[in-house]
Amino acid sequence: MMAAVTIKKKKNKFSEAPVFTEKKDYRPEGVKETGLAFVGHEISEDRTTMNQFLHYDQLYTIRHGWNSKFFIGLLDGKIMGTRCPKCGDSWVPVRTHCWNLDCNLEKTEWVEMPLTAKVHTWTVAGWSGRSSLKRLPIILVYAVVGNSKVAIANELHGLKPWDVEFGMPLKIVFKPKEQRIGAVTDFHFEPADGWKPSPMNKEKERIKKLVEPVYEWVKTLK
Amino acid sequence: MSRKVCIIGGATTPFDYGPTGFESIEGGAAECVKETQQDVPEFSLRDLDLMIYSHFSVHFGHQLAPEWIIHDHLGLVGLPHYRVENGGNTGGSALYAAALAVMSGHHDVVGIVGWETMDTVSQSQGSEFIAMASDIRYELMVGGIYPIYYAAMANKWMKENKVSEEDVATIAAKNKNNAMDNPKAQWYRNDHKYITVDDVMNSRLISYPIKKYDRSLMSRGVAFLVVCSEKYAKKVNPNHYVTVDGMGLSSCTIRAGDRLNNPGWKERYGPGYPEMTEFAACRNSAEQAYKMAGIKDPVKDIDFGEIHDAFSTSEAQIYKALGLADQTNIAQFIRDERTSMHGDIPMNPGGGLLGYGHPVGATGLMSTIECYYQLVGMIPQKHLSRKTEVPNPECGIVNSHAGTGTSISNFILRRH
Repeated sequence: MMAAVTIKKKKNKFSEAPVFTEKKDYRPEGVKETGLAFVGHEISEDRTTMNQFLHYDQLYTIRHGWNSKFFIGLLDGKIMGTRCPKCGDSWVPVRTHCWNLDCNLEKTEWVEMPLTAKVHTWTVAGWSGRSSLKRLPIILVYAVVGNSKVAIANELHGLKPWDVEFGMPLKIVFKPKEQRIGAVTDFHFEPADGWKPSPMNKEKERIKKLVEPVYEWVKTLK
Repeated sequence: MSRKVCIIGGATTPFDYGPTGFESIEGGAAECVKETQQDVPEFSLRDLDLMIYSHFSVHFGHQLAPEWIIHDHLGLVGLPHYRVENGGNTGGSALYAAALAVMSGHHDVVGIVGWETMDTVSQSQGSEFIAMASDIRYELMVGGIYPIYYAAMANKWMKENKVSEEDVATIAAKNKNNAMDNPKAQWYRNDHKYITVDDVMNSRLISYPIKKYDRSLMSRGVAFLVVCSEKYAKKVNPNHYVTVDGMGLSSCTIRAGDRLNNPGWKERYGPGYPEMTEFAACRNSAEQAYKMAGIKDPVKDIDFGEIHDAFSTSEAQIYKALGLADQTNIAQFIRDERTSMHGDIPMNPGGGLLGYGHPVGATGLMSTIECYYQLVGMIPQKHLSRKTEVPNPECGIVNSHAGTGTSISNFILRRH
């Protein structure tokens, strides 16, 4: 028979909890957590069909944990990447462990990346998710920051949508410090200083034709 | 030696969007089962020994574990059940899971119910919900929704492969026009019109080069499929069953930008692939399926397919990933209309996601069911005419696709 084991209540946790001292609230007006609530219904004229309206609004905590340095870097106007000390590959977006199987999940080290990038591919959006509709049209690019092995998506500002080009050089521009929230929306791309668009061509004319109605449509949004 | 996997029948509800009065998901599942029983009178719910549920987003469904409601409703309490979720490849992954269950010999008759209710929120909110399957820390709020990610990938792919906007527009018109022969297709039920390449070119910009008619439809729909051993197939539907002769499942990065120099792909296919343009998981899973089914030359050996045309551009990219064409001839392959009903390898005769609709959890099952109907000769009774019937097919491919190409499965089905 097994001997009884007394489990003592542990005073300390296995790891120290961080002490959070800097707190910021940038909640837009009218956003509140109401939890779950039935807020209305409708019934068809012949009373055979009913729709009910359920409202669900919940606050999530995204715990950035070991990735935190990237997001804190954004607040400081920096693009932080990671680099594998074994194979030397670096990345933005970051990886906290190297994914090259030869490196066997080696822990990566943080490196500050240059605020320059190059367009890998691009699109011009005339439609988007609910919270982005008013910003349309949006030029979205996947761009390679510094010597990153991967491309990161973000918006490209500062040029006509039809002028974006593959391979064009970019600079990373941050919002003013007081407007930053520690999210990727704190920065966007702009053409590098001195870059000039190429002359209009058939494809540019086509994109212009597709985009012009989008400007008009956005004006009609409340 | 693993056992042969068969499909003996299945059905979908009509795919729709907005109020129609028959939105009940568990009711829809019951109707799919009943239609299957009309086609296969010997099939009884009592024969099932496992249920797999195929459903993508509880955000749309506002109910956790909604499969439990369906399971109770079908009277299957006591039967083992679980849910498979794998983004847009949920249906394909559920079929993969069912096939594994039968192959292993542990289960004989597996039912799959798949569904999605994407009309519970507004279209733009729906787009945002789906985009929550992208990496929300890096992509969600930078204007990013899936059509935009796909557009960025397709834009580069089209230039590198000399495929034009008009070329992909022919794919959009083909699938939507095929859907006009399919009474359950959302395009038939809602938009209900034949369209031309010009209509596609003139439709509203979604994200260059993708326009409104180049994209699939947000849908509500349910599907049911029966996957089983050959012994059971021979017992209940000896003249109308198909065998799953090959299957493959593969993965790629969640963020499309991460696949530029991926060590895993470099090891498999050498440097510079898949770039941000090719669906490597499609190529890889197709290779697995072809090997298993003994497919040497897909264009010759496969008669038709039901593939994941979330966008007209992705259907073109999938042709290449499936090995139907390469960089030298993909544009000509499309221009020669090889995949239309009069071509040598029709794709999406059922309308595809562009025409039939895309209720995510039901989509891969819908593709499988359409493929099954073609192979067993049921198109005349399921479609409105024989215009969308593939003549005497023996071998079909089913393709199911998730994320930005993040999970992709392929299946080779053969007429018994």
